[in-house]
Amino acid sequence: MIDNFHFSFHDICKHYRRKSILNDVSITIGNSDCYIITGENGAGKTTLMRILAGIEKPDSAKIRINNGTALSWRSCRSRLSQSLMYLHQQPYMLAGSLRRNLEFTAKLNPAIIDRVAAVEQVLQWARLEALESQQAVSLSGGQQQRVALARARLRNPQILLLDEPTANLDIDGRDRTLIMLKAFLKSGTAVVIATHDPSIFTNLKGHGLHIEDQKLRDKSITPSRVLDISDYQKSRGI
Amino acid sequence: MASTLDAFRLLFSGNTEIWEIIAISFRVSSLAILLAIPPALIIAFVLAYGNFFGRRFIISLFSTFLSIPAVVIGLTLFIVLSRQGPMGNMGLLFTQTAMIMGQFLLSLPILIAMAHTSFQASDRRAWETARTLGANRLYAFFTVVYEIRFGLMAAMLAAYGRIISEVGASMMLGGNIAHYTRNIPTAIALETSKGNFAEGIALGAVLLFLAFILNALLHHVQGKGSINP
Repeated sequence: MIDNFHFSFHDICKHYRRKSILNDVSITIGNSDCYIITGENGAGKTTLMRILAGIEKPDSAKIRINNGTALSWRSCRSRLSQSLMYLHQQPYMLAGSLRRNLEFTAKLNPAIIDRVAAVEQVLQWARLEALESQQAVSLSGGQQQRVALARARLRNPQILLLDEPTANLDIDGRDRTLIMLKAFLKSGTAVVIATHDPSIFTNLKGHGLHIEDQKLRDKSITPSRVLDISDYQKSRGI
Repeated sequence: MASTLDAFRLLFSGNTEIWEIIAISFRVSSLAILLAIPPALIIAFVLAYGNFFGRRFIISLFSTFLSIPAVVIGLTLFIVLSRQGPMGNMGLLFTQTAMIMGQFLLSLPILIAMAHTSFQASDRRAWETARTLGANRLYAFFTVVYEIRFGLMAAMLAAYGRIISEVGASMMLGGNIAHYTRNIPTAIALETSKGNFAEGIALGAVLLFLAFILNALLHHVQGKGSINP
């Protein structure tokens, strides 16, 4: 199980070549939270996820971790890299076998004492035992997605950020992905998903957010009563 | 034809002088390349992954250094290491250390330019995946290096091929002293000028054989040498 945590991101701003992508975006993420973020192509979904994960530098952002003092993104970057994990739309497979990919991850997690047992367990969890000696790059899109989630399982992040995790997957692949995501939520990991098709994730009972006009908005609120997500969260006492 | 036969006779008869020259060549060039690889990889990586003012200028500079003649490197270091030069008191001129310094400087631009191309062509997700899986920056750097190892090996082989066969810097900085700084290229130049073609051909054959072995090794580790069907 994941220890209790609380990440509050405030006033995230980002622009590319004079074009504003995100403007004063705020989001708060705690244990087992599930957010489904939608938005048009180029709306800033991926940019937001990469900023949250500590990969991409925002123009400005304030972050409070576990109700501590608000810090800049730069000073929180290493903490973000440690606690959040970002999964690319097309997961990158490291050179070598599927098992090597998992062993690589297990080696980086100091909490794992018996690496061999941990890898075996995750192979079973992701139903990848039969493929363990195959070159990871030669696996199908769905299998690579499962490898990415298996790596995430070994990494055991507090927040898992997924960029279009079901794109190019067949129905079976989608179902398997959903089952694995439910397992993450059950163990206390928060899951944030960027997608074009939120209907796929209705089973996760996630909270819908929508990026539009550089703002992150609650989907259940009509455009005439658009609020920033932080306002929404305040209104619900989150 | 007679000279070629004599050359092989020299090589296989165990002529100690020839094999000593070969050993000096390998020792000096191997040390130079081993010293040049770490800084070259770091510089190439920073140039490919970094985003800072003057980056493009530095890339252009190293590309320009690719075509710098070996004698110019030799001359520059000669001035620095000669008695009246800034490092004259160290007594390094006409030593193997001076030759290593020259070959280090010669290999650096090749390594940087070719490694930069490999890093630039690499998938940025390799770095991001390693970081997001919990690797620190150094570990993530080595992960990317491993991902593009074939391109980097090609860079190392190209650089090694250049420095082991260069004559200008070795001649100026080593002085072609027998049993000490005489390496394959300076020995070929000397023996040819004396009319001893057999020795020159023998040493030239060693260089060619080395080039073949290095390239065969590269092709072996790279795979079958053709695109996938």
